[in-house]
Amino acid sequence: MPSVRRAALAVTALLAAGAAQAPEAPFPGSLVVAQGRLQASLDLSAAFPREMERALRDGLAHVVTIHVSLVPGGGGPPLSAWAREIELSWDLWEERFDVTATDPEHPRGRALHFRDFAGLRAFLSEARQLDLGPAAPLGDQRWVMVVRVELDPVRELVDRTRELIRGQRPGQGPDGPPSVLGAMASYLLGGAGGEGQARFFRSRPFALHDGTLR
Amino acid sequence: MRFSFRLQIAAALVVAAVVPLAAALWLASRLAEENLALGLNPRLIEELQETPALYGDLFRARKELYAEQARTLAAELPGDPERAGRYLEAAVRRVPRLRRASFIAPDGAVLAEAEAEGPNPEGEWRAAQARAVLPSGEVLQCVFAIEARFFADLAEARELAQSYLGAGRLRRDIQKSYVAAFGALVALFAAAAAGAGLLLARRTTRRIADLMGAVRELARGNLAVQVEAGSGRDEVAGLARAFNAMVREVREGRDRIVYLEKISGWQEVARRLAHEIKNPLTPIQLAFQQLETRFRASPAAADPELGRLVSEASLVVREEIATLERLVGEFSAFARLPDVRPEPAELGAFVEEFLRSSPQVAGAADVDLRREGDCPVFLDRTLMRQVLGNLLRNAEEAARPARARVHLAVRPAGAQALLTVADQGPGIPPELRARVFDPYFTTRRDGTGLGLAIVRKIVLQHGGDVEARQPAGGGALLAVTLPLAPPGGPPPRGS
Repeated sequence: MPSVRRAALAVTALLAAGAAQAPEAPFPGSLVVAQGRLQASLDLSAAFPREMERALRDGLAHVVTIHVSLVPGGGGPPLSAWAREIELSWDLWEERFDVTATDPEHPRGRALHFRDFAGLRAFLSEARQLDLGPAAPLGDQRWVMVVRVELDPVRELVDRTRELIRGQRPGQGPDGPPSVLGAMASYLLGGAGGEGQARFFRSRPFALHDGTLR
Repeated sequence: MRFSFRLQIAAALVVAAVVPLAAALWLASRLAEENLALGLNPRLIEELQETPALYGDLFRARKELYAEQARTLAAELPGDPERAGRYLEAAVRRVPRLRRASFIAPDGAVLAEAEAEGPNPEGEWRAAQARAVLPSGEVLQCVFAIEARFFADLAEARELAQSYLGAGRLRRDIQKSYVAAFGALVALFAAAAAGAGLLLARRTTRRIADLMGAVRELARGNLAVQVEAGSGRDEVAGLARAFNAMVREVREGRDRIVYLEKISGWQEVARRLAHEIKNPLTPIQLAFQQLETRFRASPAAADPELGRLVSEASLVVREEIATLERLVGEFSAFARLPDVRPEPAELGAFVEEFLRSSPQVAGAADVDLRREGDCPVFLDRTLMRQVLGNLLRNAEEAARPARARVHLAVRPAGAQALLTVADQGPGIPPELRARVFDPYFTTRRDGTGLGLAIVRKIVLQHGGDVEARQPAGGGALLAVTLPLAPPGGPPPRGS
């Protein structure tokens, strides 16, 4: 989906700028070239510890975003990016995780259900044969694969909170006129940023002629 | 470095707007912080976050209850389908929230079934299924009702919890955005106020600039300059009015001085003329008398033709000498106008007294006097009698050959006493009104043009003025204004 790809590129560009400050973690994936295209496979289980189950079973809606990008080893804009956005919630009546995942392979999203956290965790952790585009543009340069995993991104919170503030109708009941102050504050809150619960994984710098990255 | 008045006012407005804005921003920050601390209390958010889980507990409890009820029903379910049907119908009526019960054979065939009739007593509902497997392999499939409102409430609680959870995490950002919004709004209002203030200030400064320009014009000698005072009642409008009055006064003062200087010049001319004419008059008169006496005694007097010629010449010479003497007298009177010696008087009473003591006036014209209010003035009685006499004579002569009808009126007009003398003669053409007070200007063949000049000089010396006006009913109207005497005050400046 082009919009997902554009969003992923934008976010990854920001990540690339801040990658130097990101906490280091062993890179949990591999990159291969198949039929001239780059294919990444990831095991992100480190980003989804078992302790997370309680938080995800609270009955609230959660969003998990996974961004994968290839950035030049010396810094610069990413060459390619891949993103997946997962909306999930624990259905308190059906007692199962309801999941909607949107990624370039499923731009309209696909609905999934998991009876337990183990199944959900496996789904969240595994990303196989992610298409990162043609390999040729990598040339002889050295590259770094950066993976960013974020639970409940700040952007989501900001959007929801802006909606909350914008809907304020102080002292006039639900049908009263909206607050001008609230509307302005909502608008200004759009600039709020900051990192949520994000985890970064960075590969060592590699070049195509090094062979498969692991 | 000099700042314009407008810039100073603008700076004052900006300072007046910015200082409270800074204080308001600080207060707004505190207020937002305290409100957010109250509204986004971590304990409250924690409780909200726990709320959906409570619904989970409720759902589990209901499921267990329904499962237990299904098991209880299954335990007493008759094996015979007909009896089972009646049993299930009774169960549907008896067991709360049981909407349907189906007795299903191991092969899936429905052996008996009962369904509740009518609406659920607890309103809208969603189906909650419960199964109980009998030892013989059949299944009792029950559908219980669970209140739909639980799901709606859960959705609402979840939305609320999520909103407040997010807001709680962004508390600092929310505070900043509210303060920024408040600041922007206040700044907007302050800018609007400053704009309005600047417009007002511009209006004021423009008027002050106009005044400054007028003062410069005045300094260049332009005594016709006036500024637009408008209808305002503020200090600037008052200043403009005071300026206009001052300029008017200066102009009138200058006009007085110029006129008096001009009159002085003419007085000098009159004095010399009187002197130059008067000196040869007596020798001419004596010489002619001598000539006439010698002629009467001479034989030539026997010539009747010559005697008639001498008599006619004698008449002409006497008449012309009399005219010249009258001229000399008027010139002398004009040249020797005495200084004004003012004393307090009531103008109306003075005019009344003048008319009473001047029978020749009543003999020459029909004069009436209308008095309104008191008009205390300072005047020189002798000179002002001359003024009245000249004005009335002017009216009489204007009416000739008819008998003049003259209307006198005295009344206060602002800070002045107004005396008007109106006649019903031909009036004064507008183009001549400014000149009728010039010495030697006259429209009459036998006039000297000194009467109104003397009037004006005397009135000016009293601090007043006189002007010719066009009354609505025709004729001429000469208006004399004299300053009203302040109670116990000194005589007017012009004297």
